[in-house]
Amino acid sequence: MTITYDDKTPRQFMIASIIWGLVGMLVGVIAALQLSDWRMNGAFLEAITFGAFNADGVSWLTFGRLRPLHTNAVIFAFVGNMAFSGIYYSTQRLCKCRTASDKLSQIHFWGWQAIILGAAITLPLGLTQSKEYAELIWPLDIAVALIWVVFAINFFWTLAKRNEPSLYVALWFYIATIITVAMLYIVNNLQIPTSLTHSYPIFGGLQDALVQWWYGHNAVAFFLTTPILGIMYYFLPKAANRPVYSYRLSIIHFWALVFIYIWAGPHHLLNTALPRWLQTLGMLFSLMLWAPSWGGMLNGLLTLRGGWAKLRTDPVIKFFAAGVTFYGMATFEGPLLSIRAVNELSHYTDWGIGHVHSGALGWNGLMAAGMFYWLAPRMWKTELWSKSLANLHFWIALVGILLYVAAMWTAGITQGLMLGQLNEQGTGLKYEFVDTLLAIRWPYYFRSFGGTLYLIGFALCAFNIWKTAKSGSPVNGTAEVTPLEREKKDFLGLKAIFVHKSVQHIFCVILFTILWIFAPRGGDYAALALVIVFAVLAYRAFRKDVKSWADFHDSLLENYIPLTVLAFIAVAIGGAVQIIPTLMVDRAKNIEGRLQEAYTPLELAGRDIYVAEGCYNCHSQMIRTLVPDVMRYGRSGHDDDYSHLGESIYDFPFQWGSKRTGPDLAREGGPLVDKENPHLRTGKRDNLWHFNHFLDPRQTSPGSNMPPYPWFFENKTDFKSLPKRIAVQQTLGVPYPAMTRDEIEQSAREQAMAIADTLKESAYLPDQPDLSGDELRNYLAERQIIAVIAYMQKLGAYTEQELDKNKPDTFDPDQQRQFRKEAKEDETAQR
Amino acid sequence: MNPEHGQEEHEEHRRADFASKKGEIVLRKHEYDGIQEYDQKLPNWWLVTFFGAVIFYLIYWFAYYQAGLIETDQDAVTNAIAEIQKEKAEALEKTLANLNDKVLVNEWATDGAIVAEGEKIYSQVCIGCHGPELDAPTKLGLSLVDHEWKYGDRPMEIFKLINEGSPAESKGMPPTGAKMIPWGATYSGKQVAQMVAFIISKNPEDFAKFKD
Repeated sequence: MTITYDDKTPRQFMIASIIWGLVGMLVGVIAALQLSDWRMNGAFLEAITFGAFNADGVSWLTFGRLRPLHTNAVIFAFVGNMAFSGIYYSTQRLCKCRTASDKLSQIHFWGWQAIILGAAITLPLGLTQSKEYAELIWPLDIAVALIWVVFAINFFWTLAKRNEPSLYVALWFYIATIITVAMLYIVNNLQIPTSLTHSYPIFGGLQDALVQWWYGHNAVAFFLTTPILGIMYYFLPKAANRPVYSYRLSIIHFWALVFIYIWAGPHHLLNTALPRWLQTLGMLFSLMLWAPSWGGMLNGLLTLRGGWAKLRTDPVIKFFAAGVTFYGMATFEGPLLSIRAVNELSHYTDWGIGHVHSGALGWNGLMAAGMFYWLAPRMWKTELWSKSLANLHFWIALVGILLYVAAMWTAGITQGLMLGQLNEQGTGLKYEFVDTLLAIRWPYYFRSFGGTLYLIGFALCAFNIWKTAKSGSPVNGTAEVTPLEREKKDFLGLKAIFVHKSVQHIFCVILFTILWIFAPRGGDYAALALVIVFAVLAYRAFRKDVKSWADFHDSLLENYIPLTVLAFIAVAIGGAVQIIPTLMVDRAKNIEGRLQEAYTPLELAGRDIYVAEGCYNCHSQMIRTLVPDVMRYGRSGHDDDYSHLGESIYDFPFQWGSKRTGPDLAREGGPLVDKENPHLRTGKRDNLWHFNHFLDPRQTSPGSNMPPYPWFFENKTDFKSLPKRIAVQQTLGVPYPAMTRDEIEQSAREQAMAIADTLKESAYLPDQPDLSGDELRNYLAERQIIAVIAYMQKLGAYTEQELDKNKPDTFDPDQQRQFRKEAKEDETAQR
Repeated sequence: MNPEHGQEEHEEHRRADFASKKGEIVLRKHEYDGIQEYDQKLPNWWLVTFFGAVIFYLIYWFAYYQAGLIETDQDAVTNAIAEIQKEKAEALEKTLANLNDKVLVNEWATDGAIVAEGEKIYSQVCIGCHGPELDAPTKLGLSLVDHEWKYGDRPMEIFKLINEGSPAESKGMPPTGAKMIPWGATYSGKQVAQMVAFIISKNPEDFAKFKD
C-alpha cells in the first residue's frame, strides 16, 4: 500500500528552528558585546536614538537577563526545533509509517513555540529560577513537561504502529533522548511556588548544586548530543550514499554513552564544597566517556570514507564532516577539562565558554545547517537555491567558530593563570581581579567578531532556505510499504530483558562497582573482588557465545518497549547513585563544622533580587579548595577558609555559579557591627561602597565591565510577598523563628531603615538631588538597593558547629575513608 | 539518481550480520529506508582508550579510597596556605629587622623611587577610602593629612596599622563600623613600608621629630 508521510510538521519545525536560531544567535552577539563594553547594557541606546532614550542601563537588556535568554533560545528553540524536525522526518521513514497523530504533532509544534515565546518574555523581565538552562518559571516548566509528554506519546505510538520490524540506531538515540530529558527535567524542576511567577526549588545548597548539574550536564548530553547523533545516523549515510561504518560500534557506543554520560555531571563542580567522592566519580566517568563519544564520531567520519569526493561538491557533506569533527574535538576537550588539575585552571573562566561553543556552533550549528540544506530541496521538491551561497556560509561559519574558540582559549587560560599567579616574594597574589579582566579585553573583541561572523553565515543559510522554499512547493513524501504482521514485532515480554546472561553479567559488574563505592571497611574488598570476578565471567561468556549476545540485541531491536525500559535503566542508575545518598545524608550533622545563618526577611528579599537579576551569570559564591581561591577570597588568618558545604546549605536555589566575569562573593559579607543589633553588618566593603558601586561600578572599581543598576534606586522592594516566601522556606527546612505576617514585614522595614540611616549623610542620588538626611533615608529604605546591600553584607555568615564524630554516615565514602585511615593509624600506634 | 531510493549496492562485500575476523567487512543483510550498515571490528586504539579509562577508574578509586594514597583537598590546601603564611612571616621578620622609625623617615621616605612605589599602591587601593588628596572626603576612612594619628604617630605604629588592619578593639568608622582590612594579607612587608614612606612624605612636619 502507498502511504503519505506527514512532512508538514518537520517543515514547520525547521522554519521555527531557523527563525529562533537567528534570534538566539543575535542575543548571543549582544551578550558578547556587553562583556567587551558595559555600555551595551543599555547606554548605547542613547547613541543610536540620538538621545531620545536616555539611560545608564536598561533592566531587561542587562547581561544577567540576556545570557539566560541566549542559552535557552539556542538550546531549546534553535537546536530543539531542529532536532524535532529531524526526528519527525526520519522516524516516519525508519518506521515506514506516518506519524501516529497529526493532531499531537501540531499540539507539539505550537505548544513548543508558545513556550519559547513565554521564555522570551519572562527571562528579560527577570522572572527566573536561576538554574542554568532551567531558568524558566514554574508555569512554563509544567508546559514543557506536558508538551514533552505529547511528543513522547506521538513518538512511541508511531513506533508501535511501525511497518519495519527492527529499530535503526537513530531511533535508539531518539528513545534515549525522550525518556532521559523527561526524567532530568522533572527532577531538576521540583519546586514550591510562592506566587504565579516565583518559586523555590525543593533542593538547597549542595543538593541543589548536584541536581542542577546532573541536569545541566545531561541537557547537553540528551538534548544537544543524542538527538543529533540520531540525526547524524539517518541523514549522513543518506547524504553520502554510503553504508554506516560499523553496526557493532553503534551498539557499544550507544549503550556506553547513555550509561556513562549521566554520571559525569559533578565535573561541573570540581574542587568545590561538593563531597570529594562525587567529584571523583564525575572526573573518572568523564574520562570513560571519551571513547564512547568518539565512537559516534568514528561512525560518522568513517561512513564518509570512500565518499570523500563528494566533500568538494556537496555542501551538505561539508557541514556534516565538519560538524562531526567538532563533535570529536569537543568530546575530547570535555574529559580533558574534567581532570581536576586542569579544571583548577579552566573552571570559572572563558575556557568553559569556548568549550560549549565548539559544541554548539561546531557540532549543533553545522549539523543543523547540513540537515536543512539536505531537507529543504526534498521538502519543497526543488533544488537548493544556491550551492555557492551554502559554501560561503560554510567558510564564514568555520572562520567564525575558530576565531571564537581560539579567543576563548586565550582569554580563559590567560585569566586562569593570572588569577593564580603569586607576587615575586611568593607571599601574595600578583593581580587584582580587575587586572585579569583588562588583560582579556582583546580576546573578548575577537570573540564578538567570531560570533558575528557565525550569525552572518547563518543569516545566509536562512536566506538560501527561504529562496529554496519559494522556488518549489511543499510536498509530502510517499512510500510503498507492506504492512507488517503483528507477530513480527514486539513479541518479547519485559521479563525477557532480564533473563539473558549478557544483561545479567553486566548488571552484576555494575551492581558490585556501586557497592564498592559505598561498602564499609571489609565489604569494600569483597565488592571489588566480585567486580573483577563478574567482569571475567562476562568476558568469558561473551567470547564463548558471541552469537547468542548478538541475537539477543537484534531481538531487542524488534521490541521497542523492552529496549526503552533497558535504556531507561541505563540512564537512571548514575543519577540515583549520586543523588539519593546525597539526599539521605543528615544535613545538620554533615556540614564540616559550619552552619549557615538564615537570612533575615530583608536579606532574603535582597537575595531574590540578586537571583532575578542573574548575578550568578558572572559571580560565583564558592571559594574552591585551591590555594589561589583561598588566598584571594578567604579571610586573612584563616588557612582553611575555602567554602564549606554547610555555609550554603539554606540557599534555595544555590548560587555557586559557573563563571567568574566578576570576583567571587562567598565572603562579601561580614559580622554584625553590634552584637545586640541584628540589622547592621560590616562586610568586606562598606554600605556606601556598594551604594556607589551599583550606581556606577567604574566609580569604585575602575576597569570593571559590570552594568550599572539604576533601577535598584527606583524600584521598591516587594515587602508584601515576604511572608509567603518565608513560609515556603520554612517548609523546606530553613530554621526561621515563628513570625506573623506583620512581624516579617516590620522586621524587613526596620532593617531597611537601619541600613538607609547609615547612608543618609553620605550617599548622593543623582536622580533625586534634592533628597537628603531623613528624607533620603525614608526614600531609600523602600528601594531595592537597600535589600541588595543587606544581602551583600550577609554573604558568608555562618556559625561554628560541633561535629558528631561517632556516627558515620553510611552513604558517605569520604567518611568511610577517614575511618579507614584512623583505624590504620591506631594500628600503627599500637605496634 | 533519485536521492530517496538511490542507494547503490556495495556488492563487493559479503552479506552477513556480523564480521567475525579482524579486518573482515560484512554488509548487514537488513536495510533501513535504504540505509545500509557495515559491520566492522573496532579499531584497537579505540578499544585501548575505552578499557584504559575503565581500568584507570579502578586504579584511581582504589588509590584514593582504599589505599589512602592521595591527600584530601582540605588537607592539601590548608598545608599549602600554612606554608605560604610561614614564608611570609619569615620575610616580614627580615624586613622588620632592618626597619625602625628613624630608617623609615630618613632613608625610605627620602628615596623618591620608594615613595613612588608607595604612591602607586595608594592610588590603586587606599584611594577608595582615604581619597586622592588623602583627606578622606567620603568619610569611608580617616583623613591622613589632618595631623591626627588615632592609632599612634610613630612610623612603625603606622606600619603595624596598615599591616594588621584596624585594631580588634576599634569601633571602626561611624555609622557602620567599617574597619580597615589587614593589607599585610595582600602586600609584603616591603610594600607596606613603601606605603608608610609615601604617607610620611605627605606629612613632613608630623614626622620631623624622627629626622636626624
